[in-house]
Amino acid sequence: MKLYHLAVPLLLLSAPARAETPQQILAQYQQQAGAASAARGEKFFFARNTLPNGEVVSCTSCHTDNPKAVGKTRAHKQVEPLAPVANRERFTDPAKVEKWFKRNCKDVLARECTVQEKADFVAFLISVK
Amino acid sequence: MGITFKNLGILLTTLISSGFLLGYSWGSGSDASFPPATHKLTAEECGSCHMAFPAGLLPARSWQHMMKTLDRHFGEDASLSPEENAAITRYLVDNAADSRNANLLMRRIASGIPSGTAPQRFTETRHFGYLHDEVPANIWKRAKIGSKANCVACHTRAESGSFIEREIKIPKD
Repeated sequence: MKLYHLAVPLLLLSAPARAETPQQILAQYQQQAGAASAARGEKFFFARNTLPNGEVVSCTSCHTDNPKAVGKTRAHKQVEPLAPVANRERFTDPAKVEKWFKRNCKDVLARECTVQEKADFVAFLISVK
Repeated sequence: MGITFKNLGILLTTLISSGFLLGYSWGSGSDASFPPATHKLTAEECGSCHMAFPAGLLPARSWQHMMKTLDRHFGEDASLSPEENAAITRYLVDNAADSRNANLLMRRIASGIPSGTAPQRFTETRHFGYLHDEVPANIWKRAKIGSKANCVACHTRAESGSFIEREIKIPKD
């Protein structure tokens, strides 16, 4: 195998994730889901769910009641604020957004989130001023 | 018995190697330091929910089991893409407590772990136990500590792999 056969996949691997704006990420979810509702997203953010093991959890368990505040994981690691107004990096990397929706929806709801829920959630956090 | 070059050679070799071994064991033993997780992907991915623990805290078999069960990682979903998973597993295994990159301290940790077991928490190993047995239960419950996984709460330079005694500062609340 020649060196240039490796070059293309290596370039693809090392390409940095394309930076987007929270509005662009919201638009992509809305394309698949329909119009987002910040009010529904807010309700979703505060909703409590009881896990099969009896533990009561919500987004606020780690992210606190204030989306502009610094949160804390169960292992006590700091979590940067969710609202873009308080954290410019939030919702700028689509792959990262999807990764954390996948994980945290399972942690809180014991299932994956729907595209509508994701759209509403992002809409709510963009609306936080 | 006369001094021959052979005898002198044996004497010098013995002196040099014993000095080296002593320095080696003192160095890594009392320093209580581990190479921190310098692998970028490992530092980023593991470090997003907890301190990116040094690979040298657990043997390879522990890391392998952990990386295969990331979708149920202590009650949370920490799953990664297959490519990310493979890269991080390789780094952890290559630098594990029983790897050939292990220092004396790591090898001591590895040797204290029964061969048929693959502990998933360093805090459940014998090594952690005897180093923390003087810490009373109420201290662990302090708000600024909260979890045994929160090394940096007391070990102020844990993020850089250093756990030496004089750097310990236990939070008052």
